[in-house]
Amino acid sequence: MSNLYVLYEHAAGYALFKVREFEEAGAFLPQVEQSVTDLSRFNSVVKLMGFSPFKSAAHALENMNAVSEGVLTDDLRLFLETNLPKDDVILGVIEPKLGAAINEMVNINCQHTGVVPEVVRGIRCHFASMIKGFTPQSASVAQLGLGHSYSRAKVKFNVHRADNMII
Amino acid sequence: GRGGFKGGAKVFIEPHRHEGVFIARGKEDALVTLNGVAGESVYGEKRIAIDAEDGKKVEYRVWNPFRSKLAAAILGGVDQVHIKPGTKVLYLGAASGTTVSHVSDIVGPEGVVYAVEFSHRSGRDLLNMAKKRTNVVPIIEDARHPHKYRMLIGMVDTIFADVAQPDQARIVALNAQYFLKNGGHFVISIKANCIDSTAAPEAVFAGEVKKMQAEKMKPIEQLTLEPYERDHAVVVGVYRPPPKNK
Repeated sequence: MSNLYVLYEHAAGYALFKVREFEEAGAFLPQVEQSVTDLSRFNSVVKLMGFSPFKSAAHALENMNAVSEGVLTDDLRLFLETNLPKDDVILGVIEPKLGAAINEMVNINCQHTGVVPEVVRGIRCHFASMIKGFTPQSASVAQLGLGHSYSRAKVKFNVHRADNMII
Repeated sequence: GRGGFKGGAKVFIEPHRHEGVFIARGKEDALVTLNGVAGESVYGEKRIAIDAEDGKKVEYRVWNPFRSKLAAAILGGVDQVHIKPGTKVLYLGAASGTTVSHVSDIVGPEGVVYAVEFSHRSGRDLLNMAKKRTNVVPIIEDARHPHKYRMLIGMVDTIFADVAQPDQARIVALNAQYFLKNGGHFVISIKANCIDSTAAPEAVFAGEVKKMQAEKMKPIEQLTLEPYERDHAVVVGVYRPPPKNK
């Protein structure tokens, strides 16, 4: 029986998926890689355990700022504590820094290698059809709004007003 | 006289071989896209209004190959750009959004352009352009760190990259791992000088192609951008192509 869960962060909210069949990452990898494109096959690999939408645009921005810096927000912490079973689970996260923060604060073992990036690719592919009442349109609307507010804040809070040169 | 397409000369619009791109045939031919926001120029480019069959006006914007590497590649005869109506595009190195605005015209209301640019100065222009074009998601962030903007992007069909950085191949590969679907395509503009200013451009292009192959990116086509750009090439390829069935 699998005890691997995967966290997915979307502009609309946090989602938690359970990976159904998980024996050994190495053997499982090509199978996931192929099933990523096909929704019916992917549905037999993962199952949605919980989805917590952001309450407002400001709320979404606050969470996105934290997620992009690898910081665990109270919202995410609450979401994980409510939806993850207590005993002996592994949480797949796409980014190691957030994984370390979760491990430290909530004491959940995190993993970001092996099968996890492939599962996240699959979720990203099918997310809109896996959440009830969600459509590709509403998914892009959330991304569009959050993209504007995140980027506006980036440009606004640049006190030097000068260019950030990449060398 | 000057003013190009205005002044009474009859102009005809023909579809280009690439869906969503058009050619305006007048005194001089020009590459154009159907303006997604009629009545407005983005960066001072010329607009051409045409009477459609139903008596309505349709407006096209002239696309200058000297200002846009994608336009240069199209006029240079690239076989596929993998950008057409409805395509979801991740555009790395969006700059002020001049080419992005044309890509936005091409993909239309059913498509999306996720436009990533790190420079705050050009980012301001990009944001202003995106305000009017609702199929453009502006992302002011470093393309080296796709995890920072992972919440904003769904799976895309095509990645277009014009980041002019020495580690460009790695940057595209990282973004592809996050966002490019299996069998999706990439179009990368390579400026030889930005990778290695001491080596011959051909050697630089060959080196970049090698780097791509190591990252599950299979180059299909390579094209130099002469006469529009010097020592530039565009490489088009496919990411994680589906296994060939027997």
